[in-house]
Amino acid sequence: MIKINSKNVDVFYGKKQALFNINLDIEENQVTALIGPSGCGKSTFLRCLNRMNDVIDICRVKGQIIINDFDINDKSCDVVRLREKIGMVFQKPNPFPKTIYENISYGPTIHGMAQSKNEMDEIVENSLKKAALWEEVKDRLHEPGTGLSGGQQQRLCIARAISVKPEVILMDEPCSALDPIATAQIEELIDELKKDHTIIIVTHSMAQAARVSQNTGFFHLGELIEHGSTDKIFKNPENKRTQDYITGRFG
Amino acid sequence: MNKNKEKLLNSRYRAEKRFQFYGKSAIFLALLFLTIFIFKIFSTGYTAFQKTWLIVPVTFDAETMYLDENPSKEDLEDADYFDLALQTMFNLDKSASEKQQNDLKRMVSYFFEREIKRELLNDPSLIGKTKDVYLTASDDLDQVFKGNYPRDLPEDQRRVTDYQLKIFDQLVEQGRVESKFNLSFFTYPDSREAELAGIASSFMGSIFSILVCLVIAFPVAVLAAIYLEEFAPKNRLTDFIEVNINNLAAVPSIVFGLLGLGILLAVFQLPRSTPLVGGITLSLMTLPTIIIACRASLKAVPPSIREAALAMGASKMQTTMHHTVPLSMPGTLSGTIIGLAQALGETAPLILIGMVAFVNTIPGSPLDPAASLPVQIYIWAESAERGFVEKVSACIMVLLGFLIIMNLFAQIIRHKFEKKWS
Repeated sequence: MIKINSKNVDVFYGKKQALFNINLDIEENQVTALIGPSGCGKSTFLRCLNRMNDVIDICRVKGQIIINDFDINDKSCDVVRLREKIGMVFQKPNPFPKTIYENISYGPTIHGMAQSKNEMDEIVENSLKKAALWEEVKDRLHEPGTGLSGGQQQRLCIARAISVKPEVILMDEPCSALDPIATAQIEELIDELKKDHTIIIVTHSMAQAARVSQNTGFFHLGELIEHGSTDKIFKNPENKRTQDYITGRFG
Repeated sequence: MNKNKEKLLNSRYRAEKRFQFYGKSAIFLALLFLTIFIFKIFSTGYTAFQKTWLIVPVTFDAETMYLDENPSKEDLEDADYFDLALQTMFNLDKSASEKQQNDLKRMVSYFFEREIKRELLNDPSLIGKTKDVYLTASDDLDQVFKGNYPRDLPEDQRRVTDYQLKIFDQLVEQGRVESKFNLSFFTYPDSREAELAGIASSFMGSIFSILVCLVIAFPVAVLAAIYLEEFAPKNRLTDFIEVNINNLAAVPSIVFGLLGLGILLAVFQLPRSTPLVGGITLSLMTLPTIIIACRASLKAVPPSIREAALAMGASKMQTTMHHTVPLSMPGTLSGTIIGLAQALGETAPLILIGMVAFVNTIPGSPLDPAASLPVQIYIWAESAERGFVEKVSACIMVLLGFLIIMNLFAQIIRHKFEKKWS
């Protein structure tokens, strides 16, 4: 089933066009990897999906991005509601400088998802368990989240993202600041999370894309060159540029 | 080739050594100046915290006070103590001529009458008895006792007469001169007489001014900074505003004083010489300092925190209030304290709005006339009497102490906040 359907998406930074006519469908409850060399626009596209590009003054987005039959670029779209449904994990772990508990409870609090302290405790526990962090932090929930290791911080950020039960989780190179062991843990986690969430991951590592994703889109110079099932893209790409990139001839 | 390389390397090491030497010399020089400054102030000022008292036997003679037998409390309150006080001083030398009697009277402060009265009111049973009473020595004798007054000057160039010195030396010999902690320096308002002058009026004036300044400047500046930094679109207008805020911070303080004079006093008819007007004027000065500090610390909050909150579905307002502003508070607070410390040390604008007036009452609210500590320093530094020289230094010490306490307070607040965030 198609979860996200983007049609003719163009993005401009001031006068410079960063994305050209992107048409990409994202499958529900699968992992879609966006790959491509630096500056190809894959992160820009990812940030279109929860309208994070709004933060950048000079950035303009054109075209349609349809999630649940609703165009999120429409004026009537409420970004607060949108971002409740579409969570995001960033390149560098960015926990709030608050306690572990407060990091998780922040989203449910502002969206009024828990009626009582017990309910909130449950949400925090479930989110941490889903993010495979519960065992490590259950005895120090009220210590600062910034005191955790890099990999733990990133899992905390994932736990924070899933605390509001989003339908889609966007991941912007979530492992680029982590060591191989922490990366493996996150990848395992992604595999687990796709049962309940649709996941879109931007990654520099083609090995990672091959490992975690079912679908892959290859971006180059602001264009979506090729997309399809990960198997096909890696084993039997149609486009010459995709093949060159995958075999390491450029990038 | 190799030789050249070695030469280059050596010169690089030398350059670093030289640079370190310059740095160390700069620090040494700064510390040296600071030490000289502090030493000078302490050595001149510490004597102001001591006050010289003459212990004089007072015979509470009912007749001299024109009191009937068994006077009531009110009678004592209304009685005339002047003749009793005079008589007490004249008794120090019964053979004094009229001119010498005048000298005797001038050996104590003009409060001597009140000091004797207070003694009797404390213990009405003293009537008819004799008791040693502490009387504030005149500022000149105070200086003589502290060794600040050269006794070898010819008599016509001294404010203390030979006769006064003779009587004073007798008193010293009899152990009737005592130096005690000068509490009145902190509890008395300003006075024309150095021995009675205190900083209570100017201290309270400073406190009230700073409070008014804080109450006005802090909320206005923080709101302005948050709006400009987080919400306002970045365009020519906001650029223009930013430039002008920076300009405002560079405006000489006396210009703000003129503004206070021209607008607050002339147009709005606010009461002259009051901490209210002083505080408002100072807040105009402090405003840009706090805005700049607050904006800088808002800028220093990493964008990743804002993104994290926004991506969780927090609104702009929630992101700002829950995350950005709390994180920027330590910087904002320390900027505020720095601004207030500047305001505390400000003299020129306060002189213009009339806080330089001679105020011999302690202000009870920001609407009462008052001076401020730096203006008090200015007033005393202008006075000719020797007694005021030490008072100037003492007042500087109090002002510096005040500033140090403020900075310490800021540090503690900062520390507490920072602990919470890391």
